[in-house]
Amino acid sequence: MTQGNADIVLDARGLEPPGPLVRTMEALDQLGPAEKLLVLLPREPYPLYRALELNGFCWQTVCRPDGTVEVLIQQRQP
Amino acid sequence: MQALLSFDQAPPLAAPLRFFLTAPLFAILAGLLLLWSGPDLFASRWTPAALALTHLISVGFMLQVMLGAMIQILPVAAGANLSRPLLVASLVHVAITLGALLLAAGMLSYEPLVLRLAVFLLGSGVALFVGAAARSLYGVPSTNPTVRGLKLALSGLSVTVGLGLLLAIAFSGGFELPLPLRQLTPIHLGWGFVGWGVLLLAAVAFVVVPMFQMTPPYPAAFTGTFSWSVLALLCMWSFAAGAAWHWPSAILEGAVVLSVASFAALTLQVQSRSKRAKFDATQHYWRVGMLCALATCVLWFAAAVVPALAERPEWSLCCGVLALVGGFMSVMIGMLYKIVPFLVWLHLQNRGGGRVLAPTMNKVIATRQIDRQMYAHLLALALLLAAVVWPLWFSYPAGLAVVLANAWLLRNLLTAAAFYRRHCLKIEAWEAATATPVG
Repeated sequence: MTQGNADIVLDARGLEPPGPLVRTMEALDQLGPAEKLLVLLPREPYPLYRALELNGFCWQTVCRPDGTVEVLIQQRQP
Repeated sequence: MQALLSFDQAPPLAAPLRFFLTAPLFAILAGLLLLWSGPDLFASRWTPAALALTHLISVGFMLQVMLGAMIQILPVAAGANLSRPLLVASLVHVAITLGALLLAAGMLSYEPLVLRLAVFLLGSGVALFVGAAARSLYGVPSTNPTVRGLKLALSGLSVTVGLGLLLAIAFSGGFELPLPLRQLTPIHLGWGFVGWGVLLLAAVAFVVVPMFQMTPPYPAAFTGTFSWSVLALLCMWSFAAGAAWHWPSAILEGAVVLSVASFAALTLQVQSRSKRAKFDATQHYWRVGMLCALATCVLWFAAAVVPALAERPEWSLCCGVLALVGGFMSVMIGMLYKIVPFLVWLHLQNRGGGRVLAPTMNKVIATRQIDRQMYAHLLALALLLAAVVWPLWFSYPAGLAVVLANAWLLRNLLTAAAFYRRHCLKIEAWEAATATPVG
């Protein structure tokens, strides 16, 4: 997964909770139907996955060797 | 913030909150017990009042906070959801609350029936929780140190409670133990403090210290090996201690203590690299907790070098106060001040459905009240340590300070619960005002 695949990149690694969740939600608000949001996090965001699933988004997760977790999110296509 | 209309409601706020609100009540009871028994409590760690007080803190306060926190941490850190969390939480909470009360009462009264009832309730409550947690963790790969640590801590809890039940039944005259009471008690203590307490604390610390204290992560080499190696050392030590192999047992016990000290020292080192300009109460609580853990380890090594030290009642009581009140309670209270506001925020955010925004986390409990409660806790710790050395002078002030610090903690947590209810009512009022009239 590269940052080139994403329309919006959000680096939430240095934020204290609930900052990463709030910033991701705000970024998803701005996301167009065909756009992709890439979120960089320091760990796997299990609560976010459930929220994305419930709200019609799909995602791919990749763990980088440095421990960064990349989550690429877009709206689920009908 | 319209995009995410709902989060998952599981586990409901009521599931962990009941544990968090009950815990300070047990610490208040511990303070009242100290006021009732006075300086006599400090005659030895084996006095009925000292045993009851230890279990009011360990089973009453600590177990409540740890189980409540685990209900919340399992889904967040491991993606493992307890099935029917409210039912499990209700049953476990009732069983361990009554069990802890009866355990303390049984220790004070030497009443066999009370102790056996406590054993039944605590055993069933913990078995139900471990079963539900193990079921939720089944199939979750142990790919990160936190998941691995949580799984191992659950086994540590099972061994601790199993040994505790044996001891309590033997104490009530139920049967003859295969080992002398004084030989089995340190193994029960070792599993409770290290196999359950430190392993769970470390598993949680690996996630929450970097997350909430803005520090770099713990070194991967440490997090990858800590829980396994500590548990392996603990198993070997228990075997050697049970078989009364003096030197292997002493060396293995030293290795366990050294591992705990390394975790405490590393946490202090990681904390010192926090990006925060000014420490908040949670960071201070963690720092005090780790310093007290280190002090306990130093005291243990001092007694290993000078065995006469361990014969003095002050030594074991001092270790107990430092580990339980200074170490575990400090860290747990510090964590409650992050977990509870975060949960309130999360559930309000969810309840508001993106249309009514939740207030920020730091509005849930006023910082000034948190700081004042922390000073009260530190005063209680200092007075308890003084009471160990000068019981005639400090027992009553220490008892009063324990009651005060924990009543304040309860007040702060109730403030958070009231804050949640108040904002839920606001959301309901907003929904009623903006609802589209039918017809």
